[in-house]
Amino acid sequence: MSFLVLENLRKSFGQIQVVKDFNMSINKGEFVSFLGPSGCGKTTVLRMIAGFETPSDGTITINGTNQTRLKTNQRNIGMVFQAYALFPNMNVFDNVAFGLKVAGKPKAEIESRVREMLKLISLDHLADRYPYQMSGGQQQRVALARALAPKPQVLLLDEPLSALDAKIRVSLREEIRQIQKQLGITTVFVTHDQEEALSISDRIVVMNAGRADQIGTPSEIYNRPATRFVASFVGTLNIIEATVIDPAANTVKVGDNTIILRESIGALKGGDKLSIALRPEAGSLSESARGDTALSGKVISSHFLGSVIRTKVDVGGNQISFDMFNSPDAVMPREGEMLTLRFNASDFLIVRE
Amino acid sequence: MKPAKILAWVAIAVGIIYFFVPLLGTFEFSLRMRRGEYSFDAYGSVFSDAAFRATFGYSMLMALFTIIFGMLLVVPTAYWVRLRLPQMRPVVEFLTLMPLVIPAIVVVFGYLRLYNSSSYIPFTGSIMGTNILLVMSYITLALPYMYRSVDTAMRTIDVRTLTEAAEILGAKWPTIMFRCIFPNVMSGVLSGAFITFAIVMGEFTMAALLNRPAFGPYLQLVGANKAYEPSALAVIAFAITWLSMGLIQLVTRFSKLAPSRA
Repeated sequence: MSFLVLENLRKSFGQIQVVKDFNMSINKGEFVSFLGPSGCGKTTVLRMIAGFETPSDGTITINGTNQTRLKTNQRNIGMVFQAYALFPNMNVFDNVAFGLKVAGKPKAEIESRVREMLKLISLDHLADRYPYQMSGGQQQRVALARALAPKPQVLLLDEPLSALDAKIRVSLREEIRQIQKQLGITTVFVTHDQEEALSISDRIVVMNAGRADQIGTPSEIYNRPATRFVASFVGTLNIIEATVIDPAANTVKVGDNTIILRESIGALKGGDKLSIALRPEAGSLSESARGDTALSGKVISSHFLGSVIRTKVDVGGNQISFDMFNSPDAVMPREGEMLTLRFNASDFLIVRE
Repeated sequence: MKPAKILAWVAIAVGIIYFFVPLLGTFEFSLRMRRGEYSFDAYGSVFSDAAFRATFGYSMLMALFTIIFGMLLVVPTAYWVRLRLPQMRPVVEFLTLMPLVIPAIVVVFGYLRLYNSSSYIPFTGSIMGTNILLVMSYITLALPYMYRSVDTAMRTIDVRTLTEAAEILGAKWPTIMFRCIFPNVMSGVLSGAFITFAIVMGEFTMAALLNRPAFGPYLQLVGANKAYEPSALAVIAFAITWLSMGLIQLVTRFSKLAPSRA
């Protein structure tokens, strides 16, 4: 059942419309990530849920109650900010207790809830520290505990890992996900980092120019991108131009190669141009140059990237990146060498604008 | 030693002589009240004067009110400008600089025209009213220093994010102001308070023209009628100012609140 519902949400700043007809239903306990480049409107949607921005149009409903016109301090939402935003004049205990004190909870309840939260983030031994005495990762964990302490209906995470170094980022994102699952709290996470979104989300909303281009599970987003934007934004992707040969048989031509697509292209005519997406890791090297899912071309370059070897192959004017796992026996393709790459029919994705 | 370095030391020495010789002269003169030997008689005379105690106490009280009401005006204003009206910042900065440009005597004559006993708001019609007017005029005089010190302190914290963090935790405006913002700009508030204190303790024009028994007019009165006591009072006034400046330094240096890493 939908817990957080965003209906026809719009937001304009002056003449500029930054969020356009945004619709989404989030289930209770679900972890949803808003993924997109800077300026795509993801943070604006989050800020509208929080109540920091008033929607120009549309409604925000949480647990069946319309929140659209409620003030921020009336919504019972928790939020973790990119910049930590701990109160510098308060120690860890007081920071976590702040929301409970504001709500007028009894002293004993505040004490036990704060201790519980600090234990949850494994910082119960640092209750007396001030924010400036802690590392960025520790501060962000305290910020998480502070947001969770008043038992909010929804938890909002506004790029909480962006200010941290790579190693802490990975461990903290796993910790956030584990705590979220443990508490079963409905969470909206904003990020521009696809790896973060793919690794911890139940569902991802890929946003582009104020709209949700695609909403789906990480696997759907990665393997079945709905638009060219999603395909190019999430992961590395080859976009190749093909020409339709026989729409009834789903055959297209890429350079000198004829391939059969799994998806129907019956609506197109012979000679029409078509964009097809291919993941670099989807193909494998093939001895035979024949086959209806094989692409042959000349090696342009080959780079050793540690765990993978990335090779660029020119297939009828299309540059295709192809990744193969590194092993001690792996042989790097040489520049100018002819290669045949074999794919599964399902690897060829028709890209819509 | 390089010539440039020698010149720098010469410049420092000239500066020290220029500032300290008159002060030392004043101090030395203040010790000469007893013929033929140095003594603190002039200071004793000043401290035993009932008028000194009365005017000093009065100015202290006025300074206290000026600081309290000044800060109640300045902190929310600086906060609001930073949070909601950043485009108004140049205008507010210009307004707060006005007291430096307009002479105090012009300001006080303006007050007397606007708030005299036959006006719609007759502040000068009663002692209490005149005292209120004096505090208001001191707030005006101290505004450039108060606003700047508070605004500088606000620059060290991320006002917007802290406000939003407090708001989403359920806090209302007074809680945000007094529990989240005010304590984090305390170093600026205290710096502004000490500067204000120093200004109010030495202020003459406003107090004299509003005919209030403040320390500034008392300094002038003693200066016009006595020989050694004015020098002692000048040294005392300097000591108050320096004490205030020293406290500003202390507050700034030992402020345990590090800026938010926003």
